[in-house]
Amino acid sequence: MLDTAPAYRYVQERLGVDVKTAAAATELASLGVDSLALLEMVFEIEERFGVKVDEDTPPPRSCGELVALIERLAATKP
Amino acid sequence: MSARRVAVTGLGMVSPLGATAQASFEALLAGRSGLRLHAPADAPKPLSVPAGVCAEFDPAAAFGRAKAGTLDRYSQLGITAGLAAWRDAGLEPAASEDRESWGIAWGTGVGGAMVFERGYRDLFIGGRERLPPLTVVQAMNNACASHLAIQLALGGSCATYSVACASAAMALGEAFRRVRSGAAPVMLAGGSEAPLAYGVIRAWLALQVLAPGDAESAPRASKPFLRERAGLVLAEGGGALVLEDWARAEQRGARIYAELCGYGESCDHGNLVRPSSEGQARALRAALADAAMAPQEVDYVNAHATGTREGDTVEIAALTDVLGAHAAQVAVSATKSAHGHTLGAAGALAAAFTVLGLREGVVPPTLGEAAELDPECAGVAHVTGSARRGVPLRAALTNAFAFGGTNAVLAFRAAD
Repeated sequence: MLDTAPAYRYVQERLGVDVKTAAAATELASLGVDSLALLEMVFEIEERFGVKVDEDTPPPRSCGELVALIERLAATKP
Repeated sequence: MSARRVAVTGLGMVSPLGATAQASFEALLAGRSGLRLHAPADAPKPLSVPAGVCAEFDPAAAFGRAKAGTLDRYSQLGITAGLAAWRDAGLEPAASEDRESWGIAWGTGVGGAMVFERGYRDLFIGGRERLPPLTVVQAMNNACASHLAIQLALGGSCATYSVACASAAMALGEAFRRVRSGAAPVMLAGGSEAPLAYGVIRAWLALQVLAPGDAESAPRASKPFLRERAGLVLAEGGGALVLEDWARAEQRGARIYAELCGYGESCDHGNLVRPSSEGQARALRAALADAAMAPQEVDYVNAHATGTREGDTVEIAALTDVLGAHAAQVAVSATKSAHGHTLGAAGALAAAFTVLGLREGVVPPTLGEAAELDPECAGVAHVTGSARRGVPLRAALTNAFAFGGTNAVLAFRAAD
């Protein structure tokens, strides 16, 4: 079974949101994540999880989508 | 010369003394020190020096964690100070009128040093091959000014002055000229600095100009004008002033703190680090002439005085030269004794404290006692220990003298 804790932990550390208890639908924009902040976070995710975020990947809009993206990339990591 | 006058209508600050301009000023008047022993994070070798740290400043609270992570600390401090000044002036945060000629003039010495240092650490120590994609736009010296221009919809001049310790003073002077000339009805001006990175501290140590100190002595390590002075104390901070066409400010009923009425600049053109009283005197005379202010009108000078052996005496020589016999009556203080030397932001902190002093009729002190003063710094009316109140303050000067030999002096008058 996939260990989802790292993805949750990243979102908690980076945005101060506990996705396990807060609404996963919380919009990233409401947390101050603009296009520049998202660019920085994509880099962090790639470095931290050893994954590659393709340029055509739809940008996550909510905390839940962000966690799902990390989980999907980690699960399909070569 | 244009008949336009320039009003200071807003003040903002984050300093080692407090999270706002007023809180910092009150701490200054109370004789409190914002200095402490500081050990930079992630240092590869143990290091601690006396420093001015903005301990009350919380970037996550100010910006949210996501946004804070996209900004170097010098920008965090500067944006916070700039927006505070804007709010203080009673101006709208977003464009409510045509702001295509409104602008910003900012000062910083080392700019995004924190971000550069993080990058070098990752590359050289961490062995990484990639840097965060925002490294360039976080670290560039005009990042802070640009963020403020974007947030406040300022469409005119957006310039950053990097002139070491005269950066913010020069930014204020250039902004002043734009308002007085009619080029811009409103300018946001100031500076910010976050120099407490391991490599930056090491570089200053190598220059042998930092004051020593331990945990106990650090709060009093900065001793400008005192016999026991042994160097400067690095500090971080940000300060901002809103400069506005006087008639416009009156028309909208703005609170006018004081008038910025003169700006003088000069270059020693002699030595990178050894100051020249002749060069400083030329800047002082230029500021007085620009303000049409006689030396006898000057009641207070917020000195550059960083606490170095040579610098403080050279500044006194310049002041006594320019102010003549009147110098002995001029109140002089070195507020860096309380908040340290914020380098490129220093001119903004000095200007804000001077404006508040003019408004409230009070001279902030140099920390220390009169008995500790260096006889070689005699010739002016030093204000030490506690604030001087109850004396009329009509006009004041602020000095900012930089490595490289650039001198910038601002002249202020109390509001009518």
